[in-house]
Amino acid sequence: MAQPAHPAKDVPLETSVPGASLESIEKALRRSQAFLAEGQRLSQTGSFSWRVATDEITWSEQLYRIYELEVGAPVTFELIRTRVHPEDLTLLEKMVEQARDGGNDFEWHYRLLMPDHSIKYLHAVAHVTRDRDGQLEYIATVQDVTARRLSEEARDKARSELAQVARVTSLGTLTASIAHEVNQPLSGIVTNASTCLRMLSTDPPNVEGARETARRTIRDANRASDVIARLRALFSKKDVSIEAVNLNDAVREVIALSCSDLQRNRLIVRLELAGNLPSISGDRVQLQQVILNLLRNASDAMTAVNDRPRELVIRTERDQNDHVRLSVKDVGVGFDPQATDRLFNAFYTTKNDGMGIGLSVSRSIVENHHGRMWASLNDGPGSTFSFSIPCRFEVSAAANSSVTTHTSVKAA
Amino acid sequence: MESAQTGTATERSLIAVVDDDESVRESLPDLIQEFGFTVKAFSSAEGFLASDSVDRTCCLILDIAMPGMSGLDLQRALQDRRLKIPIIFITGQKDEAVRRRALDRGAVAFLFKPFSDTALLEALNSAVRN
Repeated sequence: MAQPAHPAKDVPLETSVPGASLESIEKALRRSQAFLAEGQRLSQTGSFSWRVATDEITWSEQLYRIYELEVGAPVTFELIRTRVHPEDLTLLEKMVEQARDGGNDFEWHYRLLMPDHSIKYLHAVAHVTRDRDGQLEYIATVQDVTARRLSEEARDKARSELAQVARVTSLGTLTASIAHEVNQPLSGIVTNASTCLRMLSTDPPNVEGARETARRTIRDANRASDVIARLRALFSKKDVSIEAVNLNDAVREVIALSCSDLQRNRLIVRLELAGNLPSISGDRVQLQQVILNLLRNASDAMTAVNDRPRELVIRTERDQNDHVRLSVKDVGVGFDPQATDRLFNAFYTTKNDGMGIGLSVSRSIVENHHGRMWASLNDGPGSTFSFSIPCRFEVSAAANSSVTTHTSVKAA
Repeated sequence: MESAQTGTATERSLIAVVDDDESVRESLPDLIQEFGFTVKAFSSAEGFLASDSVDRTCCLILDIAMPGMSGLDLQRALQDRRLKIPIIFITGQKDEAVRRRALDRGAVAFLFKPFSDTALLEALNSAVRN
């Protein structure tokens, strides 16, 4: 066995007992080794030493077990390469190269691809030292973190599914209005086509009337396909795609989609959309989820309002020159001022059928767009929820330059 | 929008269509006229109630979800005024509870959009016969 440069201090070595017999020393040593081996097995941590000059590598038994190689087999980089995941081989080469030159402690994560095609995730920590001859030597531990890694992956997946739940719940309540949106043009298509047939079946046929109804059929069919296209854009589970987003357009699309929902709740929607609103960089679908969520909250807050018009104002405006702000103002029940801090927490809800996910997801979407989101109580009844997101860089730069030009013209 | 197509204007011979959707107001009257009826379209329940067509209407084709007064509201309002106009509801929303309520209150038929011309004609005939 290679001489360990740093004997493990926490392993009870009883070798220093004065007058101990060789036999008892050996016994103690075996005991200590057994402790070490058991500790490595329990923590799924192997260790190795690597003398850089000679490429002499020594593994602990546990490391052989992690690599699923026969204990005691001579360890070479060739042998290691047969196990390291092909995608991590370059990383391995790089680490080895740096280790040969460097002489620094290092730490890295890599994967093994086992013969049964399973993957192991390993975390290695290496400490640099010099052996008795002053030669570079690394002492390292390698921990099998597969279980932890898999649970982290499961957690991340659960987290993104949670975000999906928020979509699906709004989707659920929207299903009715979607059906309405699609059935409306379909109804027009069926009626117009029926009329067209009847007009052609008379004697003499009413060709001009038939032509007009056929034209309407085409128009309604296009309308239906527009609705489908909007829905696909809104609810597709595609990954984040960053593009220039005009919040005014995003608002109009959301309104068009939830129109019948809003009508059913007898909301009066007032749009106060700023002209010349700069675009922002972001994921249009996600931002529409946020807007949709604010609309639904505002709508829900006003269901019990019967003594005043259920007015909802959606306003867009420039904010501090380089931001765009969107706010949704209702005249509903408002919220408890003491709960302001909790409004955006996950699972905080004041609704009987709510999950308390919408605002928390909304805020994380806004924050992912480098923006912020907040709520305030109105002077009158109800509350206003707002978010503010930086404009696209090019646009704000262009806006600034146009301001400059304007000023210089003025100065001249 | 209130496109009356005059036919034999006897007492209560008018079919009224009330729907906030423009494409319905555009397409349905043509079809109903092809059936041989006189028809007039309204964009809101309030608009219909305020018109002088109420007393001439022999059948009402009525949308459920409309801004302001809904189709069910109009049904109730007519009953409150003791106006027994047969109603055919048309809606894009498959809501069984609403359908049952409408039929319980005496609607002649409840058609889900899109509906066929024969289904509409059948409903119209039974409404006018009553």
